[in-house]
Amino acid sequence: MARLVISWIDRRFPLTKFIKHELTEYPTPRNLNYWWNFGFLAGFVLVLQIISGVFLAMHYKPDALLAFASIEHIMREVNYGWLLRYLHSTGASAFFVVIFIHMARTLYYGTYRAPRELMWWTGQVLLVLLMATAFMGYLLPWGQMSYWGAQVITNLFGATPMIGDEVVVWLRGDFVVGDATINRFFVLHFLFPFLICGMVLIHLVALHYVRSSNPSGFNLDAKDNIPFHPYFTTKDLFGLGVFLVIFCFFVFFYPEFFIESENNIPADPLNTPAHIVPEWYFLPFYAILRAIPDMLGGVVAMVLSILIFTAMPYLDRSKIPGGSRYRPAYRILFYVFVVNVAVLAYVGAQPPTDAMTLLGRIATFIYFGVFLLLPFLSKHEEKWLLERGLSREVLDLIEGEESHERRRKATARREETKR
Amino acid sequence: MSEQELEDRERRDFLGKVTAAVGGAGAAAACWPFISSMNPATNVLSKATTEIELSMIPEGETKTVSWQGKPVFVVHRSPDQIAAMSKSNSRIDPQPDEERAKKSEWLVVVGICTHLGCVPNKTDKGWSCPCHGSEYDLSGRVLKGPAPKNLELPPYDFVADDKLLIGKT
Amino acid sequence: MRAMLPSLMALLCVMSTYDLRAASPSSSLADVELSHESENLKRGAQFVLSMCTGCHNLTYVKYRELLRIGFNHQEVAELKGDNDINAPIFSPDIVEMTKSLFGLVPPDLSLIAKAREGKGRYIYTLLTSYHQNEDGSVDNSVFPGIRMPDVLSYSSTTDDQDRKVLEEQARDAAVFLEWTADPHANDRRTMGYYVMGYLIVFTFLLWFLKRRTWSQLEGK
Repeated sequence: MARLVISWIDRRFPLTKFIKHELTEYPTPRNLNYWWNFGFLAGFVLVLQIISGVFLAMHYKPDALLAFASIEHIMREVNYGWLLRYLHSTGASAFFVVIFIHMARTLYYGTYRAPRELMWWTGQVLLVLLMATAFMGYLLPWGQMSYWGAQVITNLFGATPMIGDEVVVWLRGDFVVGDATINRFFVLHFLFPFLICGMVLIHLVALHYVRSSNPSGFNLDAKDNIPFHPYFTTKDLFGLGVFLVIFCFFVFFYPEFFIESENNIPADPLNTPAHIVPEWYFLPFYAILRAIPDMLGGVVAMVLSILIFTAMPYLDRSKIPGGSRYRPAYRILFYVFVVNVAVLAYVGAQPPTDAMTLLGRIATFIYFGVFLLLPFLSKHEEKWLLERGLSREVLDLIEGEESHERRRKATARREETKR
Repeated sequence: MSEQELEDRERRDFLGKVTAAVGGAGAAAACWPFISSMNPATNVLSKATTEIELSMIPEGETKTVSWQGKPVFVVHRSPDQIAAMSKSNSRIDPQPDEERAKKSEWLVVVGICTHLGCVPNKTDKGWSCPCHGSEYDLSGRVLKGPAPKNLELPPYDFVADDKLLIGKT
Repeated sequence: MRAMLPSLMALLCVMSTYDLRAASPSSSLADVELSHESENLKRGAQFVLSMCTGCHNLTYVKYRELLRIGFNHQEVAELKGDNDINAPIFSPDIVEMTKSLFGLVPPDLSLIAKAREGKGRYIYTLLTSYHQNEDGSVDNSVFPGIRMPDVLSYSSTTDDQDRKVLEEQARDAAVFLEWTADPHANDRRTMGYYVMGYLIVFTFLLWFLKRRTWSQLEGK
């Protein structure tokens, strides 16, 4: 019966072919390590967020007078409402953990290089969309931290030259964050995940066109590619299991870990909490914003700090692939960058004392310095490595990639002549 | 294929099946909180019963109360009306009046027309539905269609002499 | 794998900055053990509903929910007074009264435990930190200049034995307010144990399956 249905569909839609080509038999480099698990995990968290979000939206009221109480209604009276909400709030943090690791992997192994620039850039768009979605979602509980976070961040748009004030009022639909703001943020918070899904689709189409990267940075010989199923289905699912153990530990035992205690106080437009901090995933960018004394300059620096990743394929001028694996100087730069981001996050969480501002400025300088140093460093490093002579391992990989290319071109030619 | 490999394959199949079964059971269980969240929340469930002071309704009067958001007619019937009702019956959905009221002077019916859900209006003889003209007598029995059935009886109990509790406790 | 360990460490550093910030203000709180037994909760509820609800509301808690901490219908009927059992523990008069008396509305207590660093420990410490100044005025060392009176009369009690009784009351109040802030905490933890147990077993199964699948590749 099932076979009949499938063959009926197959005559009208390439179902079996699609599954075989894109999933079960999709050739995947056999040397992928567990850092290649996080794309799949990000997809899982996206689905989890959408499902828990839809069920939360059935009980939530986007109204300045009712929002806080409706969250308490969910937490206290809706069946398993507390579970839905804690899944969603913990899921938001988990999403950023997974995405940051996914990005760190790309940076570490230098896999943003040709021909995967579009993967990297669609990934950047996804990051920005995710940040916007998270930011708007954070207003919805209408707690003190939600309210003042939204107030401060929307005020950043006031730095727009000429029409700053008008833009801020337009964004809020009110002179301060108010009823109009929460209503539109709710609508957009519901809408943006659809955009994310669309962008994920493009991200995946690009992935299946250029094929998965791998730790070596080279395209592997055909013999070193293995079918996705059962090898990577089992590997990804095991990774998911480990992820869920950690995730559920927070959901069930420390669900308030990622929620500011101030946010349990309803929004009060006349009373700012003593120390407002953004969610942890915005801390490094928030520190960069505060490091620049000028408001417009701070906003520009913060926006640049995210956009500058886009230039990575061009900033890295070394011909030797593999990122940190075969390039010691690049590796050092990577670790400097990661530690520096951690420092920025720390500074972002502290009250702006003199010492902290100074530390924030140094870290901001290093943040951009790393990107600006990369073109020179990568060129010098390449020269140095070539002079020293490449290792046997790398030479083998180059040979493998060349024979792989030759075979691909030959197949392409055959196809051409057939036509 | 060597014996060792065959044995391995069998073991893997078993392991695969067990893992799939455990995973499937877990996924099914994980659906429950989501489905359950769509059921009435505790604040809604707490409205599942309604208490009424009967002394507030004089003989011959009807009071409409809300039970689970639905209108319920509570009628304090006079002896004449009770006598009339125990003699007459409905031709569409016949039912003796004794089965319609736990205490003959109190009629408790859900005020929703059994045709398409409108709320019938009170008349001298009983009720008449404004939507399609169905008529009911003072026992809530249907006298004239299109309604197919008598007015529904909610679960209720006389918790004290003058206290009525509608809904299951 | 090993090559990326340092970056994982760095990530943990980022996470711990978050924790550092959360830990600092609560370090001065009394290290008191709060046990969520039914009798503590009930005593705490009786204390809060008699001593605190004169000035504070518990807007998000309904009288009916008191049935869940071990009170029976009769006891809840006594606690709720004239209020409906489905009504929130809220009185609009309090808002008016306190505003005219103190010039501000005291915070709602339903979420107070979650809204303060240290949760119940904060409440316990606050209630037992009243002291008499040399000039006879009463102040609070956790919240200097607090406008809430010393409801336990802790500052005027000097006898150690009597103070123990008051501390016991403060502890029960803290336990009850932790419950009102997070009423499903027990269900959540119980469910958590099952979920964690299941996930660990399932993850081990997946690990075996993965290892078995990949062992086919060896030597190829």
